[in-house]
Amino acid sequence: MKVRFWGVRGSIPVPGRATNRYGGNTSCVEVRPRSGSPIIIDAGTGIRRLGKSLMDEAFGEGKGSAAILISHTHWDHVQGLPFFSPLYRAGNQVEIFARQRDLHLEAVFSQQHDAPYFPVPLSAMHARTGFHEIIEGSTFQIGDAQVTSARLNHPWIALAYRIEVDGASVVYCADTAPFTDLLLGQEFVHSPTMELTPAIRAELAAMRAGVVALARNADLLIYDTQFTPAEYTVRPHWGHSRPDDALEIAREAKVKQVALFHHAPMRSDDENDLILAQYRQVVIDAHDPFTIVSAYEGLEIMLGDT
Amino acid sequence: MKIRFWGVRGSIPAPGPETNRYGGNTACVSITTATGGLVIIDMGTGLMHLGNSLLASEFARGQGRASILLSHTHWDHIQGLGFFPPVFINGNQFTLWGPGGSDGVLESILEGQMDPNFSPLQTLKNFSANFEVRAVRSGASFDAEGLTVTAREHDHGAAKALSFRIEEHGKTFVYASDVGYPESGPPAEAIAHYANADVLLHDTTYRPEEQATRRNRGFSSYEEAITAALAANVKRLVTFHYDQDYTDDDVDAIIVKCRELATPHGLEIVPAREGDELVV
Ligand SMILES: [Zn+2]
Ligand SMILES: [Zn+2]
Ligand SMILES: [Zn+2]
Repeated sequence: MKVRFWGVRGSIPVPGRATNRYGGNTSCVEVRPRSGSPIIIDAGTGIRRLGKSLMDEAFGEGKGSAAILISHTHWDHVQGLPFFSPLYRAGNQVEIFARQRDLHLEAVFSQQHDAPYFPVPLSAMHARTGFHEIIEGSTFQIGDAQVTSARLNHPWIALAYRIEVDGASVVYCADTAPFTDLLLGQEFVHSPTMELTPAIRAELAAMRAGVVALARNADLLIYDTQFTPAEYTVRPHWGHSRPDDALEIAREAKVKQVALFHHAPMRSDDENDLILAQYRQVVIDAHDPFTIVSAYEGLEIMLGDT
Repeated sequence: MKIRFWGVRGSIPAPGPETNRYGGNTACVSITTATGGLVIIDMGTGLMHLGNSLLASEFARGQGRASILLSHTHWDHIQGLGFFPPVFINGNQFTLWGPGGSDGVLESILEGQMDPNFSPLQTLKNFSANFEVRAVRSGASFDAEGLTVTAREHDHGAAKALSFRIEEHGKTFVYASDVGYPESGPPAEAIAHYANADVLLHDTTYRPEEQATRRNRGFSSYEEAITAALAANVKRLVTFHYDQDYTDDDVDAIIVKCRELATPHGLEIVPAREGDELVV
């Protein structure tokens, strides 16, 4: 399979010279099995360009089909959907998967698409769309690919995904806080500290074990590393991790490669270079058996049988 | 009035080297008044960068105040609000003026943006600053930081938006973004709203060839903007709200065309570019 990054940024798109190399678009990753349709993870602004490139293929003739896995519906993970060109072409088929929540998934997306926020209602899209609600932990099939999900520690809850196909596996773990300091979920957490009752500790430990199990022996682990350790200290309740957290999970799960992902909006390319260099050294010093990259727009990673 | 452009793009932010010169952030413009007051127009992603710059001022200490004029609530005009640091500092004061039948309706639309399904902020009530929302009716005039503002509702595809005529000491700046005219051209009421402005900032989302197939989307071509500016006897026209697919080179070519059309009539073209300033 081929993994290609179309948007690597967290929170909000950041155009400008300081982000030219890593890119300013929000989260979107394309997983392309050797044969079969694309599986897209998240629909941040990066999906706009992906959609345009897909229109050069079968989608341009209204004969394409794609699956979109949504980690969660925060704006930086869904903003690009109304700008995904294949949706506007009759004959295409787009299947959208996301976590089951109180409001029906289709209603959530309809709200995003409709007045007073957006001029084109979802019902006006010409492609056929299907909405699939997932329960965390469930496993399902998309073409030849097997997809598994796990719960993450993020406000309003997010899902991690593992995709296995062509004898390889990629795990997408965004957005999540580490599993040590706070439990994030349906309640709004105002404060950076939380009393960790035994029940909360147990829930966090179970969530962490679920993530390690999901990432077990993965060829590539894509991980939310929005924060530096200093930034995390101030904002642990925002629901994002440090590179240190990604490396810890990678070690335990024995993954082969880690991609730093979901870069902070104001992080310049030069700062991202420094962070990567710093953690490459950490990996070398620890004799870790995996390699580390920092995701940038246009990065392609081939995995498994090619 | 000193105008500064923080976001000049339409519909969705467009990052990438090919938009470095004009900028890829969505709509946000600031006005510094003669007495140093701050008026912000629209809250696209450019607002985050304006907010970061304000952290070097009294806004960092919770002693800042500003008026915000909102043309309409499409995402590209409100996305920056949750990323505007001064609203998270206790003591700062904001008055937002925007479209809506009542203050409550407008506030609930802005609340919807912060819906926990979409935003970790979950509600506007998590702002620490004082944030007052005021609905404006078409034709109403009000004072914003000492500027006299008159709002006019115009068509924007199936939606409506406000344009703002802003006056200070006999100088006039008009902000008219996301404007859709009928094929017959700008109506007389629009021309009256822009009349004799020193500077008219006008939607120029499309080239005429794209407008031909997209009129229902409710944006202007640069030709329509020039037609309006000439009819209203405007001195300078600012091009704005460029389509997200246009590269810097595309916009350069649009500006060349605009000047070909405008210069013979004595109309000056000022292309909006992120970071540029303009004194009215
Ligand atoms: Zn995110
Ligand atoms: Zn707009
Ligand atoms: Zn609009």
